[in-house]
Amino acid sequence: MPLSDRELMQRLASGDREALSPLMERHSKRVYRIALSYLRDADDALDAVQDTFVKAFQNAARWDPASEVAPWLMRIAVNHSIDQYRRGKRRGVHHTPLVDGDHDERIAAQEVSPERHAQGRELGEKIARALETLPEGHRAVFVLRHYDGMSLEEISGTLKLSLGTVKSSLHRATHRLRERLAELAP
Amino acid sequence: MSFEHLRTWRRLSLLASDALDAAEGERALTHVAACSRCAAELQSLRGALAQLLRDPARTAEPQVGVDLLVQRTHARIERASTATAVVSGWRVAWVPVAAAALLALVVRVAGPARSPEAVGTRAGANAADRVAVSDEALRRLERTVEREQAARYLNDAEAVLVTVAAAPHHCDRNHETVDMAEERRRSRELLTRRALLVDIDSEGIRSVRPVLEDVERLLRQVATLDACAKPEELLAIHEELRDRRLLMKIDLMTRELLG
Repeated sequence: MPLSDRELMQRLASGDREALSPLMERHSKRVYRIALSYLRDADDALDAVQDTFVKAFQNAARWDPASEVAPWLMRIAVNHSIDQYRRGKRRGVHHTPLVDGDHDERIAAQEVSPERHAQGRELGEKIARALETLPEGHRAVFVLRHYDGMSLEEISGTLKLSLGTVKSSLHRATHRLRERLAELAP
Repeated sequence: MSFEHLRTWRRLSLLASDALDAAEGERALTHVAACSRCAAELQSLRGALAQLLRDPARTAEPQVGVDLLVQRTHARIERASTATAVVSGWRVAWVPVAAAALLALVVRVAGPARSPEAVGTRAGANAADRVAVSDEALRRLERTVEREQAARYLNDAEAVLVTVAAAPHHCDRNHETVDMAEERRRSRELLTRRALLVDIDSEGIRSVRPVLEDVERLLRQVATLDACAKPEELLAIHEELRDRRLLMKIDLMTRELLG
């Protein structure tokens, strides 16, 4: 019978690195999507996944055994992504926006038509620009709701915010994004 | 305008986000069915969200398998623990140095007291030789540690100054202020570290003293900036960095220190 997340975290806290593998199998995709929503670059998001689990290993002893593992991991992922995003922004890093299907090889293999590639690229750029205008707290709430599918209560627990703050952040983020998308419309 | 209308209006974005519980959602939808303004607003919000939810990042999958990710993560943990060991090693390097210094002092003070008449004897000569060798080793060790500490300090200071000089992240939408909170914090940390670990007057790092002084002056300027600084406050720092070619000098001096 596979070990639960809590059991794996306890092993990690005692220095058993092998516990990382099943934890990463279960949670790395979620971490990847959260990181990608901030960093907009597949390689940077992969780096963020690895760094998130390195931090999880290094801080496993601080994890509260009474709390759930996934929200704790997602909190690390959000904080790390925000940190990386700030650094990239300060250094003026500009990434090619994501497109549906993501990679040029797939276009070459005729899996994604050039038209769809161009549309996806434009859409990805537009969404990235719209998301960038959100304050960090609002963006984190929006990403956890719409990219990770967390409930408001889960977001509240993950980001250590009151439920009221989560609701008002989501409300403001949605309105701000609608305005921004309208401004960016061709 | 009824209370129910206001209540629902404020919840429309949460309704569009499917974030209301079942009872709240039903109540809001009942009002929307009878309120054309609310219905239009809900439709508009859902339209915007529908666009955002087509973001490819929402459904993207890592382009490498989880096994490879696990391997790379293990490698990073290895590297991180090695780096920590090196830093700790630098920090604790002073402990054996101090212990050796103390021992040398004890040998010097206690030696003659035990056998004042033994000066010139073979035993006395051996003791003197041992002390002389320890002093030399001590000086070499001190010098190496000093230089490593200085190189590390310069390296970290360079990282802070590079981000100060790089494209800034604005605190506000009008780009009137620049976010310097992190650089300010790191500058303060570095200045404390310099005061504790790098003796600017030491013989071993005399050749890099002018660069250390320039770096310290700039770090002090960064440390006193507001968390949201005005761009013009950064101009003097940018100009000094450029005019003194400080980043280049830091690179050269760091290499020299590390031999």
